[in-house]
Amino acid sequence: MTPLSLRSRLLILIVIVLAAVLLPLGVLSAKRTLEEVDELSDGRLAQAARTLEVLVGRIGVDQLRSQRDARLLVPSVSNHPQELTVQGRTFESEVGFQVFDHDGHLLLGTENLAGLPNTHAADGAFEDVETGHHEWRVFTLIMESENITIRAGERYDSRHEITRALWIEHGLPTLLGLPLLAILVGWAIRRGLGPLEALAGALARREPGSREPIHLSDAPTELQPVLTALNDQISRLESALDRERRFSADVAHELRTPLASTMINLEDAMASAQPDEATRAALEAARACLVSLARRTEQLLALARLEVGAASGPRSRVDLGELALEVIDELAPLVGKGSVEMSVRELPEHLFVEGYGVALGALLRNLLENAFRHVPQGGHVELAIGSVDGMARIEVVDDGPGIPPDRRAAMFTRFQRGVDTHGEGYGLGLSIVQRAAELHGASIELLDRHGGSGLRVVVTLPAA
Amino acid sequence: MHIILVEDDAQLGDAIRRALERLAYTISWYRDGNEALSALRDHDADLVLLDLGLPGRDGMDVLSEARRLRVTTPVIVMSARDALDSRIQVLDAGADDYLIKPFHLDELAARIRSLARRVRGAAVNKLEAGALSLDLGTFDVVWHGQKVELTRREFALLQALMERAGRIVRRESLETSLYGPDSAMSTSALEVLVHSLRRKLSHEAIQTVRGFGYMIPREPL
Repeated sequence: MTPLSLRSRLLILIVIVLAAVLLPLGVLSAKRTLEEVDELSDGRLAQAARTLEVLVGRIGVDQLRSQRDARLLVPSVSNHPQELTVQGRTFESEVGFQVFDHDGHLLLGTENLAGLPNTHAADGAFEDVETGHHEWRVFTLIMESENITIRAGERYDSRHEITRALWIEHGLPTLLGLPLLAILVGWAIRRGLGPLEALAGALARREPGSREPIHLSDAPTELQPVLTALNDQISRLESALDRERRFSADVAHELRTPLASTMINLEDAMASAQPDEATRAALEAARACLVSLARRTEQLLALARLEVGAASGPRSRVDLGELALEVIDELAPLVGKGSVEMSVRELPEHLFVEGYGVALGALLRNLLENAFRHVPQGGHVELAIGSVDGMARIEVVDDGPGIPPDRRAAMFTRFQRGVDTHGEGYGLGLSIVQRAAELHGASIELLDRHGGSGLRVVVTLPAA
Repeated sequence: MHIILVEDDAQLGDAIRRALERLAYTISWYRDGNEALSALRDHDADLVLLDLGLPGRDGMDVLSEARRLRVTTPVIVMSARDALDSRIQVLDAGADDYLIKPFHLDELAARIRSLARRVRGAAVNKLEAGALSLDLGTFDVVWHGQKVELTRREFALLQALMERAGRIVRRESLETSLYGPDSAMSTSALEVLVHSLRRKLSHEAIQTVRGFGYMIPREPL
């Protein structure tokens, strides 16, 4: 199972917490509201009864009694609506009253309560009474002085209508508000996690091998330790790489200078003295060794640079066409010797790849130098650079001895020599080629030259 | 010919001094960057061999400071530094040539001769490479002491190659300098021209990189 994203985790947690708090709160508040509505309505009922009490007191009980045969029945409420307003809507509640004398005879009453039996409730009592189809809330008031009982009643369904209206007015918006709330919480989380996303973006945008520290404008305090740790790591790596680079530069300098003085001294000796045949041969051999030592030093240094250089800088767009011109230019001394003929079969003006110019230069140079070294006098080296199916393709063909198929795999081992054991060996040169190819996700094929002995090396790498 | 040698390494400096003195050059050897700069400023040398890693003042600094002071003496930089990045920097800073250590004595001597010829040639409007010389004023071509008659086109081709002796000159740039930038000349025209030039000099005098270009070595045979 893939782990939840930070955003989903936060969203789920917040929704759970909100639900855990808001739902009981809502239920409690609804309950309290209903109770309030009940109390309010009861209060109104009691107030109505007290009003009646005052009226009855004014009229006088006797007056009422004198008309007892007429048993005054007042038409019901519609003429005297009791009104309650909820959020601009008006609710009429159906109310009614009864006045009994001490014998329990009805003196006065509304029609809608005609069927309500006298329950002889105590003074100030509220009760729920059922008549026919309706349920009534009834308040009883006893006038001690006149010995009269006044009852005021209100139909429950009216009350229910009010509570329903309250639900619709308040509950529904709250319910509808919940999804909106979730959306807003989601937005807030996204905003809140912005710096994290910015950090992730900054990391994703980093070039492989980039040496720049990561910078976040106004990073929040929680991310500061992460940033600091990351940048510490980068700078430690950076200084290690720097040391490596300086080391190989120092080694280069330390080795090249004594090699140079040995070379000059040796060649000066060979030119100035008149050595006998044996001495001359020995000096020649020493010089050949020195040349080979110098060449291997260069190759080892190139390899070391490639190892360090791999992580030491961002890739850039490299023009293989342009690079080939430089490398061919550097090979001019080899061409100038005139013992090996070189040709360029194909060379585009521009062919771009993503990579490291120095490494690709080393790759090209070593491929060509290897070829030059392995062809006999009067031999031929051919270079072709082109693009095939969106891939850049470098091909170097020589008509030297070639490498037997069963030994090709071993060729990339460092210090492995080719078949001509008196030659310089392909090993180190091919190691450089291989390492540079690795850096670029390139493939190397060692093949036979078409139509004759010789090696055909094909390097294929993604074009930019 | 007076050469100022600037090299802090005792062994290498000594070796170069001895070898070049044997070749009849006069050598003044300095091991410190500041000394080298004042020597460059105060003495008339024909050529400078300059190492880059120097005590006192870095070789690059010596070079650019000397050029700033309008010292025009040709400079060959001998560097043990890593090749690719510094080569362009060094040439941009005003060096005339660049050698990476270790180098052969022959190579050093050839570069010195070629640079000396270039300087001398520029004064008399001449291009020289080994036994080949080209007089741009009189259109005289001398090869191993013999005058060679060339056609106008052959001379133009030879001049284009000699101006960059020791380096491969691209076919396209040769065609441009021979026939102009928009010419529709077939490449075989150039090959024919090279062929006839070779017959008048020697086959080895012009090296071919087929499909790419031609070069005249620094010291053609």
